Order: sequence, then structure tokens, then C-alpha cells
Amino acid sequence: MEYFIVSLLNGAIYGLLLFMVSAGLTLIFGMMGVLNFAHASFYMLGAYFAYTLTPLIGFGMAMIGAPLLVGVVGVVVERFFLRRVHSYGHAHELLLTFGLSFIIAELVKLFFGNFPIDYRIPASLDFAAFRIGGADYPFYRLIMGGVAIGMFALIFLLLTRTRVGIVVRSAIYKPRMAEALGHNVPLVFMGVFGVGAALAGLAGAVAGAFYTTNPNMALELGVMVFVVVVVGGLGSLGGAMIASLLIGMITSLCVGIDKSLADLFSLLGMGDWAQGIGGLLTLKLSSLASTIPFALMLLVLLVRPSGLMGEKEYL
Amino acid sequence: MSASKFIRTVVVACTALLLGNVTSAAPLKVAVIEALSGPQASTGLSFRNATRYAIDRLNTAGGWNGEKIELIEYDNQGGPTGAADKLKAAIADGAQFIVSGSSSAVGGQLTDDIRKYNIRNPGKEVVLLNLGAEANELTGEKCHFHNFRFSSNAQIRIKALVGAMKKDGVIGSRVYSINQNYSWGQDTENAIVEYASVGGYKVVEKTLHDVNKIQDFSPYVSKIVAANVDTVITGNWSNDLLLLMKATKASGLKARFGTTFLDQPGNLANAGDAATGHYIAHLFNAEAGGKEGEQFAEDYKAKTGRYPAFIEGQAVQGILMFGEALKAVKPQGNNLNVNVWALELENTKFKTPMGELRMRAADHQALVPVVVSVVSNDAKYKVDGTALGFKPIMVLTGDQAATPVPAACKMQRPT
Repeated sequence: MEYFIVSLLNGAIYGLLLFMVSAGLTLIFGMMGVLNFAHASFYMLGAYFAYTLTPLIGFGMAMIGAPLLVGVVGVVVERFFLRRVHSYGHAHELLLTFGLSFIIAELVKLFFGNFPIDYRIPASLDFAAFRIGGADYPFYRLIMGGVAIGMFALIFLLLTRTRVGIVVRSAIYKPRMAEALGHNVPLVFMGVFGVGAALAGLAGAVAGAFYTTNPNMALELGVMVFVVVVVGGLGSLGGAMIASLLIGMITSLCVGIDKSLADLFSLLGMGDWAQGIGGLLTLKLSSLASTIPFALMLLVLLVRPSGLMGEKEYL
Repeated sequence: MSASKFIRTVVVACTALLLGNVTSAAPLKVAVIEALSGPQASTGLSFRNATRYAIDRLNTAGGWNGEKIELIEYDNQGGPTGAADKLKAAIADGAQFIVSGSSSAVGGQLTDDIRKYNIRNPGKEVVLLNLGAEANELTGEKCHFHNFRFSSNAQIRIKALVGAMKKDGVIGSRVYSINQNYSWGQDTENAIVEYASVGGYKVVEKTLHDVNKIQDFSPYVSKIVAANVDTVITGNWSNDLLLLMKATKASGLKARFGTTFLDQPGNLANAGDAATGHYIAHLFNAEAGGKEGEQFAEDYKAKTGRYPAFIEGQAVQGILMFGEALKAVKPQGNNLNVNVWALELENTKFKTPMGELRMRAADHQALVPVVVSVVSNDAKYKVDGTALGFKPIMVLTGDQAATPVPAACKMQRPT
């Protein structure tokens, strides 16, 4: 039972981390229709900036400074790169962000080297929150979860309860009409792109210390973030939240299940036959844990192509 | 340099190049096919740097046949597909020796392709010098005459590790096996089970997980905690080891780790003091090599900028042994006959700081000395800028560390 609770908690917090990164991606997509391939690179930049800033201004301030810097990078990318190719259509924007992700990865390697850097949680935060199931539960994991939930609440309120939110939503829904009413739509786009990047940067700054900070972290997380956004529905913040939690918990719980299809067959008295066939039938669920999200994505695309909470059908 | 002089120099150089093919042989070419970009680049570059260093040393000592050995570098981008392409390019560029090491998947592809190429092109054989791909099959089912492994394999490492931990009385009776789900990880898992009776432990649970895809290892650590074990043995490397170490540290798990690649840069820094007391079976430890080891480590650092803490030691020794056998090979019409070299290598006894390195003729698996070290504050060479390092506690000679020739290896020797 304790094992189950720990797994659920682990999964939820990993899911919340996925949400922090995918929130920006799904916002940017919902707004501009741009699938930003460089988004996970902003996550990586956040971690590296925080690592660089920590000795200068302390860990707490770095958690604020790093996302701001990443936000500035995002603004620059939108203003001076994306906006120029915007009129050529989505394919150009896609290729631009794709290329950008490689350039950022190579730059990071140039400045910080190929090996993982020593970016760690400060000692003052490195303690156990409580003991459960015979092991410590790190306090920092709870912080990560808290930051993600706080972020979700803030964006949600901002979008639904403030004037800025109204302008942003109207710019998404009917950009030309919003422009005709005197709102500066390009500025709104730039702002959203910057905020989206900053959110990824915040996730990187917080999670980089807990996991690893290396030049491949964008690649490693990037794929999963796309899965989250597709499952949740492109452009839907709530969908991203649900999909993140779902994927986090499924992955975490599957690790503990050492059952295979053959065990299922043995309920029908065909266990020996299935064991004899081998191959896919004897593959344990636990060894597939990190592949299951992809199966989930396939299922969602088959049954509900717009994603769990997606509103419109793209394509 | 004046213009006319420059032109003259160019003309002379061009003539020399044109005549070069006629009057003297092309230099001996060695191709390193490694992951020089992409996610595995940190390991690939370590192998590349070590190979560069060793070839430079051979060239300083005179190269071969009065010419410098030429090293050509190819980027396989981390995967077997890239490696297969680059192998074709390397052979087309005239390479007779292919060097690779960072992945068993790549190693398997290269050795298969080379075997087929050699069957189709008798008299133009190409040789694979495997410096670090350690899946058993490479000198088992897939073994062939032109494939040489200078490093160890899963069985050798686990045998040494279990032996040393048993001797120190730290292995306990309950062991957890966690490994990556591909050839190397599966071999390691089998070896952990195989040596259970030697180590006097019971393998409580076995886990195989996806390779380098998992971000959050805490579910795995909860599983280890629930299994209530004394020791965790893992063949994990790269991110999979790093993240496992971090998650272990965060959970306050007290189990001791027996590892094979904990010396990869970044691991100790990230695991912190929690790593103290963890064991590793590796092939090179400068401290264990005494004066020679120290000399080598300092020279390597002077030339490349970092201590050979990871696979660099074994890779350099492998290439130097290749050069040692080369010394005794006479050119045939200005060319190298790789079969003559191969037979020479089987009789070479090469002295490394760790002990004697030999190549077993039956399966071309090196009889390589293995060092078992423990993470400690007393280590001479600290790593990752921490106060920790690897303190050698046992050195096994190549013969002591060896495991039997796999029955699956049926080698066709040239007649």
C-alpha cells in the first residue's frame, strides 16, 4: 500500500514537471499555431542559466533570474526570427524552430562541455520531507510540485480573470478583429512567446537541479512534452495538465507491475502456451514503462484526434 | 614567402603527391567510427580523444613502415545506421583498421558488416578494434577472425566485482539487479544471476528498463526500497546511471551499489557523498598502476587536458597494443597484410600499468586485467572536482579475470 502511495506521488510530481514544460508549448501553439520545436531547448537554457547564476546571486534569485533571461531569449526569437518567416507559413516557422533547437544545443556544448554539469539542489533544501515506505521523500520534489501548481493557477487566472487575458484570448480567437479594435496583436504574440519560453525556463531551473543538467536534456524531455501536448489537445492548458498527470502516473505505476501478456493468458489456462511463444507475450509491463505514453498517444490520436481537451480539429 | 617561391612549393608538393602513389605506399590508415555528436557524444568523444592520443604516441615512436599512421575520424551520430554508412566511407577511404567502443549496438553492426565485407573481398580484409563495446555476443555468436575486443565483457566485470565485494564482506545476501534493456544490460543481468552462488547472495529482483529514455528514476528506487536489499548491482551507464544515483541519494536508500561505469564523468558529482562505499569494476585506475600509472595519467592530462578517469585508459592501452603487434609486421609490397598482423597480435604480450594484456586466440577476447575500486575520500585522484575518487582495492590479472571461451564462438581462421 505504501509502495502504491509513493508511486502515485512520484508519478504526480513527475507529471507536474511535464506540465511546467508543456504549458508554454501548448500556449504558444494555441495562440500562434506554431509548433515550437525549440521549446525543450528553452527548458535546457533555463537549467544552464540557473547553474550559472546560482554562485552569483544565490539559488532563490537564480530561480527568478533564469526564467527572465530565457523569456528575453524567447522574445528575441519571436521578434527577430519567427516574425520574419511568419508570412511564409507554418512550415517555415517549424523548420526555423527545429534548426534553432540544434543551434542552442551546440552553443550549450560550446560553453559548458559535453558532460553533465554539477548543478545540484542547495544543501538547505536537500532534506527529507517525510519518511514513507522505508525511504525518505525529498522535500525538493514537493517544491517542484508546488511550483507547477502555482504556475497553473496563475496562468489560468491571468487568462480568464484579467483584462490582459481577454486581449490575449481575443488575439488568439480573431486576430484581425482584435487588431481592428486597436490592440497591438504582434506585441501580444511576442509577449506570449516570451512568457511561454520563460515558463519552460522556470521548469528547467527547478528540475535541472533535481534531475541532470546536460546538453541532451532538451532531447530527452522534448519528445515526452510533445506527447503530453498531443494527448492533452494542442492549445489546451487544462488538457496539458490532465495529460501530464496521466502520463506521469501511468509511467510510475507501470514500473511496479511485473506482469506480461502471458500472465493474462494463464488466467484462461493458456499460460504455458503463451510462455512457449515468448516474444511480445512474455515482455514484462515494467520494462515497457517509458514506452507506454507513446501507446497512449496513438490511442488518443485514433479515438479523438483533437486530444482529450482539444477544441478545434487542426489539419 | 614570395609569390614565385610559393608557386614552386605548391608545384613540388603536388608532384610529390602525384608520385606518392607510385613510389611509396599510402600510409596505414586507422578509422575511428564514434558518436561525435548527439546524445552519446560525451562517451564517443572520450574514445576518440584516447585513440588520438595513442596514435600520436605510436607516430612519435616512428609510426609504421617509415610513415606516420593516419587517423581518420567519422561521426556515426550514435547509432548503428550511421555506423554502417561510415564504415563504407572508411573502407572506401582506404582504412584497414576500424576503431570503435562506445556502444554494443554499434559494435554489433560494425562487426557483422566487416565480417561480410571480408568474405566478399578476400585479400583486402578490414579489422575491427573494439575498445569498449562489451556485450557478450561480440566475442560469442558474432565472433570472427577479424574482430578483436581489447576491453572486457559483462561476465568478466561482474565476476571481478562480485569476487571483490564478497572478499570484503560487503555484498550481503540480498541483491537487486537493475539494467538497461538491450544486449549489454541483459548480459549483465544474466551474469549477476550466474555469479549468485559465488557471491553467496540471492537475486531478489531483476529489472530491465528502457535505455536512456527515463527522466525520473524515483519509481525504480521505490521498487528497490520495497525489495529491501543489501546491494544493488547495475551495468547502467550514461544518464541512466546518473539519474539512478540522484534518485537514490534523494530517497536516502542505504543499499551499496556495485557498478561498472560509475567512473563516467559527472556521476560522483551528482551522487555526492551518498556514493561513498560504492564499488566499481573497471579496466584502468591510475592509482592502481603505481608509478607507471601515474606517469601515464600525467602525460595524458598534459596532452588532452583531463585525467584518464573513464574509459580512456583501456582505450589507449588497446591502441598501444595494436601498435606493439604492428612493430613486428613487415610490409608486403609496401602494404600491410592484416592477417599477419592478427596472428602477431595473438602472440603479443603487452605490458600496461595494470599488468599484462594478451589477446586470446580462441575468441579474440582480450585477457585484460580488471581493477575493483571503491569510492572513497582516500583516493589519490579525485574526480569531478569532488573530494571523492576511486580507491583501488584489488587488481586481477588477465588470467584471473578471464571467463571461459563462449561455446557459441566458432571462428574461421584464415588458412
